[in-house]
Amino acid sequence: MSKKKKIVTSTGAEVRQKPLGLRIWNNRGYYVMFLPVLIFVIIMHYWPMLGIRYSFYHYKPVGARTWAGLEHFQTMFGTAAFWTSFKNTLELSIMKLIITTFTSVIVSVFLNEMGNLTAKKALQTIIYLPHFMSWAVVASIFLLILSPSYTGMVNGMLRDWGVIGPQDGINFLASKVWWRPIFYLINIWKETGWGTIIFLATLSGINPELYEAADIDGATRMQKIRYVTMPALGNTIITVLILNLAKVMNMFESVFVLYTDSVYEVSDVVSTYIYRQTFATAMPDYGYSTAVGLFKSLVGCVLVLVCNWASKKVRGRGIV
Amino acid sequence: MKKKVLSLLLASAMVASLAACGGGDGGASTTPAGDNTGGSSAAAGTESTGGDTESTYQLSELHLVVDGTITATVDNGQAALIEQLNAALSERAGYDVTVTIDQYDHSGYTDAVGRLMVSGDLPDAMIMPASMFKQYSTTGILWDMADAYDNAEFQSRITLPAVNERLKDAQGHLYGFTPAYGNGCVTYVKKAWLDAVGVDINTVTDYASYIDMLTKFAQGDPDGDGKNGNTYGVIAAGFANMGEAPYINYMPEFWQGAYPAILQDENGVWYDGVQTDATKEALLRLKEAYENKLIDPDTENAGTKDAREKWFSNNQTGSSGVFTYWAGTWYQTLTDNLVKNEVDPELVQLPPIKEIVDTWGGYLNREAPVWVIFDDGDGDDARENEVFDLLCDAMLDGDKVQTLWTYGAEDVHWSTKAESFTTNPGTDNAKDYDYPEGTFHLKQSPNDPNSVWKKNYIDNALVIAPLTNGFSDASELALTGNAFFNEHCVDAPLSPSSETLTAETGNITDAVKKMIVDVVKGEVDVDTAMETYKSTVGATVDTILAELNAPAE
Amino acid sequence: MAKTEAASRKQKVSVFSVVNYIVFIIIALIILIPIWKVLIDSLNKVGVYQFQLWPSQFTIEGYLTIIQTTALFRPFLNSVLTTLLGTLLGLVLSTLGGYVLIQFEMPGRDILAYFLLFTMIFSGGMIPEYLVMKQLHLTNSLWILVVKHGMNVYNLVLMRNFFEGVPASLYEAAKIDGCSPMGIFFKIVLPLSKAALASIGLMFAVTVWNDYSTVQIYITDPNQVNFQYKLRNMVMNGDTPTTAYHVSQTTLFNAGIISAILPFMILYPFLQKYFVTGVNIGAVKE
Repeated sequence: MSKKKKIVTSTGAEVRQKPLGLRIWNNRGYYVMFLPVLIFVIIMHYWPMLGIRYSFYHYKPVGARTWAGLEHFQTMFGTAAFWTSFKNTLELSIMKLIITTFTSVIVSVFLNEMGNLTAKKALQTIIYLPHFMSWAVVASIFLLILSPSYTGMVNGMLRDWGVIGPQDGINFLASKVWWRPIFYLINIWKETGWGTIIFLATLSGINPELYEAADIDGATRMQKIRYVTMPALGNTIITVLILNLAKVMNMFESVFVLYTDSVYEVSDVVSTYIYRQTFATAMPDYGYSTAVGLFKSLVGCVLVLVCNWASKKVRGRGIV
Repeated sequence: MKKKVLSLLLASAMVASLAACGGGDGGASTTPAGDNTGGSSAAAGTESTGGDTESTYQLSELHLVVDGTITATVDNGQAALIEQLNAALSERAGYDVTVTIDQYDHSGYTDAVGRLMVSGDLPDAMIMPASMFKQYSTTGILWDMADAYDNAEFQSRITLPAVNERLKDAQGHLYGFTPAYGNGCVTYVKKAWLDAVGVDINTVTDYASYIDMLTKFAQGDPDGDGKNGNTYGVIAAGFANMGEAPYINYMPEFWQGAYPAILQDENGVWYDGVQTDATKEALLRLKEAYENKLIDPDTENAGTKDAREKWFSNNQTGSSGVFTYWAGTWYQTLTDNLVKNEVDPELVQLPPIKEIVDTWGGYLNREAPVWVIFDDGDGDDARENEVFDLLCDAMLDGDKVQTLWTYGAEDVHWSTKAESFTTNPGTDNAKDYDYPEGTFHLKQSPNDPNSVWKKNYIDNALVIAPLTNGFSDASELALTGNAFFNEHCVDAPLSPSSETLTAETGNITDAVKKMIVDVVKGEVDVDTAMETYKSTVGATVDTILAELNAPAE
Repeated sequence: MAKTEAASRKQKVSVFSVVNYIVFIIIALIILIPIWKVLIDSLNKVGVYQFQLWPSQFTIEGYLTIIQTTALFRPFLNSVLTTLLGTLLGLVLSTLGGYVLIQFEMPGRDILAYFLLFTMIFSGGMIPEYLVMKQLHLTNSLWILVVKHGMNVYNLVLMRNFFEGVPASLYEAAKIDGCSPMGIFFKIVLPLSKAALASIGLMFAVTVWNDYSTVQIYITDPNQVNFQYKLRNMVMNGDTPTTAYHVSQTTLFNAGIISAILPFMILYPFLQKYFVTGVNIGAVKE
């Protein structure tokens, strides 16, 4: 790999490199130490990659595996439910990303302006909290709060205020109109706080002289936010968007725990579609679900490479 | 440089993964269902030498997967049940047998079974609801138990042979076994609510009077909290219970003669019950009632347990007056729960309304859930025969084992020892029980001393071969309930079974659910919804119908 | 003139502060109200929709029911067990891997690094992964929760970044003293990385404890499921495993939710800096 025979040590002195065999022998301890990692990576990540070939087979729990060619891909591209899930994946993840990034920026700016350090620390403690809750827990919390039944807080208050009649109940998570807004709100609730960390780090790195200069120019607080704080965040915002854009195809658990069959149209994503085609079907064809999975992985892969390229343009280095 | 390495790796991995068809995991191409069944139980068993009959095969472990219909759960005396089953079955078999019961969450059963099948980690036998059973009976993983059934010991005592005969397919294969007939749902109405709104149950005879009753429940003040209109008429687990056939049995008054699935007409020809005017009309009835708040909106997503809990909840505001649920012991169980929640516990059973009688003839008696035995595919039936003997044959032995499956564990769920106890002591509903030595009786529930144990798995009133030891103890309400149901029931339509249906059931069910919800909630008009249904799965349904109606070979 | 200007600016500043405090309080309430509602409802004998500051009929029966109900308590213990083992395995693999990846003189280090990083870009997908685990007999077993999360490339890279911060002179001094790679690892690297171990260990623990979808995909055996799975099924399907509770079903649901977050809520105030450090090195230093 390296054609150079010379390497530079940490002290800057150039030394002649020893022969490869000797270097390998000298580092044998490290190879041994890496072995467990290697084994796990191969089993957990590379072995499954071999399974991609199933997308070209008919492969059911019972019976022999037979060649299917591109049949599964034809079925997939001809299935409306698949396209719905694909479209939903892109819409849900990208909207979610934009919205939570936006709220994170706003909250970090407020946090940054807070002079009272104790209050700042306290708020940080609070807003990081939901990040550590599982999606199962978050879904359960909101399922209970949004429940249309008598014990649902939101519907109960709407009834008290006369917004809806005493027998009405908005079944938020089973309504095609409400499901997405609620999904975004829950995401905001869960991830905004955690998202502020990276912006706060950027903000703490702003040269204080910029603010002093602005003070001398007689800038108001708002003007300082507008002209000093926000531009400094610009780069970080783009970085965060790029980093996360690479992950948009991965959406599964957050949708899985919140959707019901009434709202598949607006909520079904590719991973949940694969799940149902495999585990909620009496005799699934693994070939088909693998084919859908392969398509998903390829799109994800392309997105990563695009983001990597974009990242290099914007900040001079890649994301992987 | 980095880029090169990366793209090289990427390319090579892709090539390797796509091209390595021949190599690698050879095991995956064989039938996973087959090679794992045996492993779960027969590992320690003596190897059968082929030609010998069942008696030589020793099944050390009997691994069962069950749903919530085994009421002796891990928190309700299951350990004792298993211990006594082990003893009784070991005695029967002449060697040590260990029973393992994996009990899945009842509401998620279909989902979990789907995953279990994919995992290939199959038990020896499991419970399957009828429609699920029909899906798997075409797959070849279920064992044909026709011979074993015909030669079973219990044949001499069987009083309802038709129940299992009905499960046989056209070629005479029997892939599932049920020890009892199906049972069905009847409509229960809260007596106190009827009195509060001044409705006489005897006047509720047809759909119009039924709706009238629901309207009074919804708009009046049946719960007596002084406010009108904070209650509903009826609640159910789903507008249609698409998880288990007969799909309409939680809302029979609205569905009437309609049936949102494939069924046979009087000439035995299969047709799609969804694409009928009857279904359209039923959806419009549901829609109207939903709009008028007669149906609790929770119905859309409620599981059976949700619906039940809400119906007998301590806080009757937001509850409903009508609930269509299982007949017999559930009459007692619903009453017990109302008592526990300090709600007026008196319930009346509504005879089927005129529209139901005119179409079906009565409440639907569902196809019974069955036990299926998995075929390990080794061409030798010794193991499967032994499973049948220890599970199905023993289950109806008329004596020890049947008592365990019917009532549960001795001295935990039932006893013949002298005993006296009081349920709900110190309340208005306190009830004393006193039994002399030697009298068979049910004890207090292990996890709830305020209710008396009812049954374990088999309902003694529905069993196809009665107990010979004379053990019988059912509450008056359960007996009344069973009698009432028997008087008013007809057999539910048979579920179809075809290969395409097995593969596509999930998609078809999704499409039906979507149509129902869209129409009932008023999001789409009924004709558009029907068109959407046809364009989504219409072609698939046609294929299935063609398969079903193809002349038998 | 100048004085009034200064005064008005001071006025503006304090107005801004007031606004800022109000915003602070609103944000805090948005986060806390749902959690408080669940906490209070879990201690209330009856289910109510109103937001209460204190339960109207105080009871701890909801929690007692969870402890006494085998079908709920066993999943809880499974969660504890898998979290401990998963964290341990995760730390072992990520420290070993991270340590080897900073051996710049080791031939093939780059290849190994890319071998790991490639898995972050491309994966076999849900079904092939499932089929492999099936062949390894890891389906229907809680071990899947341990091994599935043990190998986490992202955490491994974080660990490597931590190790890079350890002054190289320390390693070299140890090497001169004749320490083997293992020796250096145990005597120098690990003791100097306690903060990293705590932080990344917490990340592993949170991941394993919170995992729901792995169970939903791989496990059906009711004895092997974890608490998140049980909780979600209970709340979503209303499938409470017992009828003998002395509290409303809502109380039991809420108590379940609180039990699922309790372990980390107890640790969180004390270990907050470790919770946050991980993301800082990940996001900022990387």
